[in-house]
Amino acid sequence: MEPISEPLEQELAQLRQRLEEAEDVRRAITRGEVDAFVVAPGGNNRVLLLANAYQRYRQLVERMQQGAITASANGQILFANQRFADMLAVPLAQLYTAPLESYVKLGDRARVSAFLMMTARDARIDVELERRDGAVIPARLSIASFADGYATLLVSDLRPLQWPRLAVDALDSIRNSLESLNRSLAADPAARDALRDISVEINGLARMIDEMLDVESMSTARK
Amino acid sequence: MNPPDASPEKWNLRLYTAGQSPKSLAALANLKRVCDEHLAGRYSIEVVDLLKNPRLAKEDEIIAIPTLVRKLPEPLRRLVGDLSDTERTLVGLQLRPRK
Repeated sequence: MEPISEPLEQELAQLRQRLEEAEDVRRAITRGEVDAFVVAPGGNNRVLLLANAYQRYRQLVERMQQGAITASANGQILFANQRFADMLAVPLAQLYTAPLESYVKLGDRARVSAFLMMTARDARIDVELERRDGAVIPARLSIASFADGYATLLVSDLRPLQWPRLAVDALDSIRNSLESLNRSLAADPAARDALRDISVEINGLARMIDEMLDVESMSTARK
Repeated sequence: MNPPDASPEKWNLRLYTAGQSPKSLAALANLKRVCDEHLAGRYSIEVVDLLKNPRLAKEDEIIAIPTLVRKLPEPLRRLVGDLSDTERTLVGLQLRPRK
């Protein structure tokens, strides 16, 4: 048999690798090891998840004003939302695979480790988180769900004056959504009326929070 | 257990995920475990959430999620799936010879 030329050998190697990769995709799909696909209609990439409801759940978690993390039993952070990253003042990407305990004050680490082994829904503990700059944040960890060996925790910031700020943020977010809905539904009178009613309620809530903030700042000043 | 890879080169890995989908979480946990056992102190994992930035799928021609891409050492390698088959992951990353 004649020896294969070098360019042909390279081409063969590339084809072999492409074939292996295609086979790997086929294998992963048939074994149920993937749960999303990238499609590119018209050249624009989109991600299709295998379960539609999951997308709505994810958006809720991403946008909520409470920290949320998913951690393995040994305390490795596998997912965190932006709010949790903001609490610790670190970039979100830095949290992936980081040990949760490295952000917990030394005295509370053993309790957090034990807590992550709990499977009881609604279990909670109060701990102190520690930022890299040394700032300490009192926080409440609550188990929201426990599945497949991973605990999803909600993290509430217990610092005073956090809740009014969070409420204001939430109201701003709702206002933005309403404005967007207003633009989309401008032609529908019934929808417009409903949105106006919601806006009135939201503005009422905003006024209540403003008043409460005034009371809070006055009582803080007195202390 | 396979002995850790003794070469000094830095491993640069990129895991494409779909938020915290169950398979994405499993892939990240499995990858971290394999890296800690075989590449301790010599690896970095970049997690790319394609739900946030689907355009980033183009760079590494991602079609199924999760997908792991070994950027360094070269040559580039792709592994599709949740990496639950440790033997396959080690072979795919060339940390263990193919049988």
